Amino acid sequence: MRFSAKFVKSWAYISMAVTVLVIVFLFAYVFFMGSGAISLAFITEMPRGAVLGSEGGIWPAIAGSLWFTGTALILGGIPALATAVCLVFYCKDKRIYNFIRSVIQSIAGIPSIALGLFSYSLLVRTMGIGRCVLAGGIALAIMIFPFIEVRIEKALNEIPRALILSSYALGISHSYTVTKLVLRAIRGELVSGLILGACFAMGATAPIIFTGGVAYAAPPDSVMQPAMALPLHLYLLLAQGTTMPQVYGTAFVLMIIVLVSNTVATVYARREKHTWK
Amino acid sequence: MRNAKNLLFSSFIYALTALMVFVLVFVIFFIVREALPLFREVPLSDFLLGQRWMPIGYVGNPAYGIGNFILGTLLVSAVAMLFSVIVGVGTALYLACVASDRQRSLLYPFIDLLAGIPSVVYGFIGLVIIVKFFLKLGHPSGVSVLAAAILLSVMILPFLVSSISDTLRKLYMAHLPSSNALGVEPWHATAHVILPLAGKSILLSSILAISRAMGETMAVMMVMGNANLFPTLLGKGETIASLIALEMGTAEVGSTHYHALFAAGLILMLLLLIINTAINAIQKKVLG
Repeated sequence: MRFSAKFVKSWAYISMAVTVLVIVFLFAYVFFMGSGAISLAFITEMPRGAVLGSEGGIWPAIAGSLWFTGTALILGGIPALATAVCLVFYCKDKRIYNFIRSVIQSIAGIPSIALGLFSYSLLVRTMGIGRCVLAGGIALAIMIFPFIEVRIEKALNEIPRALILSSYALGISHSYTVTKLVLRAIRGELVSGLILGACFAMGATAPIIFTGGVAYAAPPDSVMQPAMALPLHLYLLLAQGTTMPQVYGTAFVLMIIVLVSNTVATVYARREKHTWK
Repeated sequence: MRNAKNLLFSSFIYALTALMVFVLVFVIFFIVREALPLFREVPLSDFLLGQRWMPIGYVGNPAYGIGNFILGTLLVSAVAMLFSVIVGVGTALYLACVASDRQRSLLYPFIDLLAGIPSVVYGFIGLVIIVKFFLKLGHPSGVSVLAAAILLSVMILPFLVSSISDTLRKLYMAHLPSSNALGVEPWHATAHVILPLAGKSILLSSILAISRAMGETMAVMMVMGNANLFPTLLGKGETIASLIALEMGTAEVGSTHYHALFAAGLILMLLLLIINTAINAIQKKVLG
């Protein structure tokens, strides 16, 4: 084997090993350091202590994160599905298609902090709804919209045209074809896209830092209240710099959520995947 | 009845799509509108090239120059991309040329885990591992552009790997039979045929990765030091995204400071937009 071939071969093997080691290290480190802080009380109690969060648990942050994520998923996920269906099955005009595509791409390119900025100025300040789950959720929804839309559109485009045309040829309506045939066929990708989108929203701090995330609040009862969120809680605890076990514990919970939701999304998408012949 | 249902469904789809497109266009319009008042007070060239950022004039006149922040954003993203490409191309080579189908089906979602980790967790690990390590090596504060770049390189790795390995896999499948027929050793073919052919698209993917890195806020903010300095690898620096995240909470609505932060956000958006559009156009031209 010539030197160049040997070099490329070792480059491939070493890089792969480095990548795997980095991933294993990130999870193992957080799990190892965080496991000490994890207890039932840590998950279910309110944060307490002279320096807030140095004692007690993170329950309101978990609940708040669920509220933010749920709001974002409803406000971002459903339009994402509708837009993808519209672009693939309803939009006949190439120019409108290209316009919508480029708008979505521009939004995907906006840094998440700018979306937070938008929601803060418009909803929190100008419209005066104050910091609340809704304002944060809207920023998150705009953030995850392109993420989910692109995945669904890709799945829709993989369905063979013949299948859909056969359905039309049988006199079956557009709406029946889409809801009963198309959405069934892509449900693996649909659900996994939504789960990964939710995971993306849940881990984001920048869009909610001014819009709805706060340092301390009870679990919210409605979307009009501010709430805590796991990533923001982690950031604020770290900024205080006094309570390392709780920081590791919060990171532990976040990493577990990432691991579980990614695994569920992948396994479900695989199981439900249609292979078109 | 059936027609009514059909009509209801399609109008629902159209309405939601129209609403969302309207919202998205409005977001862009809104950011532009809030940014523009700044340029009545500060000339564009002063804003882009100025090195002084003194939004509140404690001493002397206020100044709004984001030159250092722009350079900081570009430097940290470019260095992160360099690190990431070294490992990313190698990993993509492994996935395209070595891994079995079964290995690939496990490794892809495994690498995608990196994309799922929240950026504050990255920032946190960066603080307790990378910054500590720099301190041990004798760096005065540990926080630096280099530390942020190392962290960012891990964050953009999954995007690089997935786009590069797609390209490499296609080329590998296309050229392997002929190279085998000629009796060329597969790694030799990879080194002399496939990598050179993939060169252009690897370059394009890397530039796209830079644009991914530029929008990152929290993780970079936590390890880069956040000081308005001309960015150097071992010195502190600040990115546009961190600037907004750090100062938005203290800027009075409607003040010049507030408009300046929006203008900074607009500049970041435009930078990303220019890079992405240019790359997409080149990709269409070069790769067909």
